[in-house]
Amino acid sequence: MKRKGFTFLAVMLALMLIIAGCGAKSDNNSSSSSGNTSSSSGGSSSSSSSSSGGSNSSGSEQVEITLNGWGASPEEEELLQQTLDEFMKKYPNIKVKYEVISEQYMDVIKTRLIGGQAGDVFYLDSSEAEALFAQNVLEPLNGYITDEFDIGDIEEPLLNAFKGEDGNYYGFPKDSSTLVLFYNKKHFEEAGLSGPPTTWEELREYSKILTKDGRYGLGVAPELARQMFMIEAYGGKVVDEDGKAAFATPEALQGLQLVIDQHLIDKTSVQPTEVGSGWGGEMFGQEKVSMVLEGNWAIPYLNNTFPDLEYGTAEVPTVNGKKVTMAYTVAYVMNKQSKHKEEAWKLIEFLTGKEGMKIWTSKGLALPTRKSVAAELGYDKDEYRAAIVAGSSYAIPWQVGKYGPIIMNNFNNQFISAFLGEQTLENAMKAAVETANKEIEAMQ
Amino acid sequence: MSRRKLRETAAGYLFLLPTLLVIGTFLLVPIVYALFLSFHKVQLLGGISYRFIDIGNYTRMIDDDRVWIALYNTFEYALIVVPLQTALAILLAAVLNSKLRGRNAFRVLYFLPTVTSSAVLTLIFMWIFKTDGLLNDLLGFFGFPAFNWLGDPKVALKAIMLMNVWSTAPYFMVIYLAALQDIPDSLYEAAEIDGARTLRKFWSITLPLLKPVTFFVVTMGIIGTFQLFDQAYIFSNGSGGPNNSTLTVVLLIYQYAFKNLDMGYAASLAVMLAAVIMLITVIQRRLFGEEKLN
Repeated sequence: MKRKGFTFLAVMLALMLIIAGCGAKSDNNSSSSSGNTSSSSGGSSSSSSSSSGGSNSSGSEQVEITLNGWGASPEEEELLQQTLDEFMKKYPNIKVKYEVISEQYMDVIKTRLIGGQAGDVFYLDSSEAEALFAQNVLEPLNGYITDEFDIGDIEEPLLNAFKGEDGNYYGFPKDSSTLVLFYNKKHFEEAGLSGPPTTWEELREYSKILTKDGRYGLGVAPELARQMFMIEAYGGKVVDEDGKAAFATPEALQGLQLVIDQHLIDKTSVQPTEVGSGWGGEMFGQEKVSMVLEGNWAIPYLNNTFPDLEYGTAEVPTVNGKKVTMAYTVAYVMNKQSKHKEEAWKLIEFLTGKEGMKIWTSKGLALPTRKSVAAELGYDKDEYRAAIVAGSSYAIPWQVGKYGPIIMNNFNNQFISAFLGEQTLENAMKAAVETANKEIEAMQ
Repeated sequence: MSRRKLRETAAGYLFLLPTLLVIGTFLLVPIVYALFLSFHKVQLLGGISYRFIDIGNYTRMIDDDRVWIALYNTFEYALIVVPLQTALAILLAAVLNSKLRGRNAFRVLYFLPTVTSSAVLTLIFMWIFKTDGLLNDLLGFFGFPAFNWLGDPKVALKAIMLMNVWSTAPYFMVIYLAALQDIPDSLYEAAEIDGARTLRKFWSITLPLLKPVTFFVVTMGIIGTFQLFDQAYIFSNGSGGPNNSTLTVVLLIYQYAFKNLDMGYAASLAVMLAAVIMLITVIQRRLFGEEKLN
């Protein structure tokens, strides 16, 4: 009996050893592959030298690279495919496989990066950029840039969103949008208002006039991505130099208080779930609200889903006498573990270069980040998009430092509760800052 | 002789090997690995590394408000859902065990929600829970106030409770049904001769005889409710919002593991959850066991 137990133990131990052995083996693999990547990143100088003669060597070998992105509307995906087809026509030896990650994009891409399964090139939102730079998983692109690529043509704030602290560019913005005020022309006419509000005070006055018959003046998205400019309008900051939360200062609260007051005191604004909608564009299209702050993405949606809606766009009303808005941008970045860096760069170069960007932004589903492309396509004179283009000169890029996800999560959680009147804004923001900073400290 | 015995033993283990391998790889090793991780600070992105930090991950929990919120939410959820779904399951089983017309049809109908994928159920229920959705229409019809089920922190968790009771009660109903078939008719007949009515029979015969099954149902129910994840995840799009009101322990583990990539801390939270569930099961066993003695 005793002996049986011993045998059992021995068998189990052997089993553990086998499995542990497998684990060790895979560890070896990963360490050797990381050795490879370090050697190839050391060889980035050689790759830049070969980039001049890249077209010669490229003719011989067929290479497949993978592009990861999140899902979008069918029109957008078709347009992207068209752009990629154009790229493959230009470089017949490179085949691009476009792979969509439809849900929880960042969670999935991070997991794939760990497992070595991420695409050679993938999308990266500006808000997540700084967190990823610090992790040493992206290929610095400085060594690849050529004069022809003309980096100065790209809007500077958007370009800088993907510049690491080490001065390296880790990605180039593919498109961008700022927030603008969408207003329902029919509602405005009925209410006897001649045009969109130009100051936040006017916006609140107008909202009072427009709120009637179960309809509300303004639709609000109570989250940091949309409210950050209210924090900065009175001189507040979302994060300090160390990346820690700092949005509970009196200056920061002053702007946010306007949003809260309009919802709780004026009762002229609502969030989407209060009227049974999924997001701002939807409740605006369903005419449950007369005004909403959204970006370029709402224009194709409104035109397709609500073709009869008469609406206009205008720059965000000034807050504290200042012009303010947010800028959202997404870049193409390169996976450091990519086995085909030369080809991956070719793809980034094409997609964020003049040629590719012109195709990608030609239908106005996305707006260009290159000044030359924007001028050529004439979006600064477009009926709906002129306001979006105008905003890009003073917009605040949507970026909240290295600890973005923590800051965002805590702000959103507490701001909602203040927005619903469960606690004062000051208490809510103090709690959010405290929790966020505690989490950041615990991470280190 | 001893050699033969050895061969016999070896043959025995050879037969066991497939099972041992499967259990070892998918049960034992993950448990040991989770324990190992829970004492380490794990760096995943950009080169994997482990750093031993003793019980640092466990002491961190004490200071982490979100852990307490998640535990509170999970306890509240279990405390309301488990009794409700158990009672509902007994009730449904008792009704369907009687000689109703078309009871097979009813059995299938009641069991359907359990067969449906919980992800699909949640999406459908989110439509029902919309401010201008079916549930609010129904409440309005009976003169009750409407709620913002998806957006109001006060009721968001209740919405998930409602959905879960509805979808898991039938599963336990089937277990009760099977147990009910085992109760001999003679007991009921004897009770009838003694002049017992339906309610009395249910109270004095059915319920006591179902006690072992009830123990099983409550235990499984508690484990299930403590592991609530998919509904809360879909409901809040992974954030646990609004205002942490749908943040459950497993959702928190997910957030730390995959959003913050803090595997060590996530593993320690998982170990903590396992300990809590074990503790509750032990307490519960005591309670049920003691009653048996009386």
